[in-house]
Amino acid sequence: MSSDFYTLKILPYAGIIIKICRAYTDSQEDFEDYYQEVCLQIWRSRDQFRGESKWSTWIYRLSLNICLTFIKKKQKNKQHVNSGEQMIADTIDNYAFADESLNLLYDAIKKLSEIDRAVILLYLEEKSQKEIAEIIGTKPNNIGVRINRIKERLKKLLDGKIN
Amino acid sequence: MEKSIEHIWKHGFDTENGLIAPKLNDLYNRKSKHIVDRFKRMFKFNMWFLIIFSSLFLVYSFFNDFLFGGVLIFVLFNSLVLVNKNLFKSLKNIDTNVSSVAYITSFDTWLKGQVQMNKKLAHFYYPLLFVSFMLGLWFSGDGQAFVSEILGSPHQIYLYNGIPVFWVIGMSVVTALLAIFGGAIYKFDLYLMYGHVYKKLDELMLDIKELNN
Repeated sequence: MSSDFYTLKILPYAGIIIKICRAYTDSQEDFEDYYQEVCLQIWRSRDQFRGESKWSTWIYRLSLNICLTFIKKKQKNKQHVNSGEQMIADTIDNYAFADESLNLLYDAIKKLSEIDRAVILLYLEEKSQKEIAEIIGTKPNNIGVRINRIKERLKKLLDGKIN
Repeated sequence: MEKSIEHIWKHGFDTENGLIAPKLNDLYNRKSKHIVDRFKRMFKFNMWFLIIFSSLFLVYSFFNDFLFGGVLIFVLFNSLVLVNKNLFKSLKNIDTNVSSVAYITSFDTWLKGQVQMNKKLAHFYYPLLFVSFMLGLWFSGDGQAFVSEILGSPHQIYLYNGIPVFWVIGMSVVTALLAIFGGAIYKFDLYLMYGHVYKKLDELMLDIKELNN
């Protein structure tokens, strides 16, 4: 890695990496671990970027894959066989955003399945259905339906909590 | 009116200063550890490869009338494994509780020493490998039949006191060339197979040093 790699190639996309890592972690310590792991993996895998997609798309995909792998490893280590929903309920959220509505939205997002979390994060980041499909690795026509379903679920989870 | 999730997201992050990236204090320590672990895996793989290959070759040579060569190659490869195993032991002496710069520099020094030692050995083991193979061939059933044939028709080959002169000269030349260029062949071999990892190590060292200046 050139000394500028982090500044030029990762830092401009730190925002999305942070948002993704926050969606898959429940403590500041875990979040920092995930963030560092993502940065490290981006550096390690940089030679695999062949320019077939945008660098930002590649970063999204890699970040999501790393978080998903990391969360799976962690679940395995903790021998958690419960659903993500139950796991989140059992953990203490000891780090939060200043905006209370955002915290509630994140709490609701964390109650979704791991893939649904990825889909909604990308949707909220205003990625096109085609891009979301490319990042997730599915067909674009399935994405629209899935987004609507996730939004409905989130609405129910947030019902009455945000005005 | 209830806010949409899109609004919460956009507005939340517009005013949010929590999007400041955490410091990557540990990144270089992790990278150093990662690359050193990779080298360790490579060394272990190489050693196991030599052991397994030489053992399989020994078995093959036993059933294919090449036992002399098989034994020599087995001894040669396993001597090499023993030397490298001892070199590998010294890697454990590197203190892992130091900074990433100190750690990666110590590792680089160790690696250079290891390569240097193997380069010196290569001046011997490449020719020895060739001689072992040729002797194995010579003492094999086919080899002996061939020897009997040429000794039985001395007019076809130049013999001096029963020794096929040109054959011996040819072998000696190849052996000498391997002894002279053994080190260079080893380095070529090494960089051909592991050049990319060495390049990454060099990049990482340069990077860490730059950041510490």
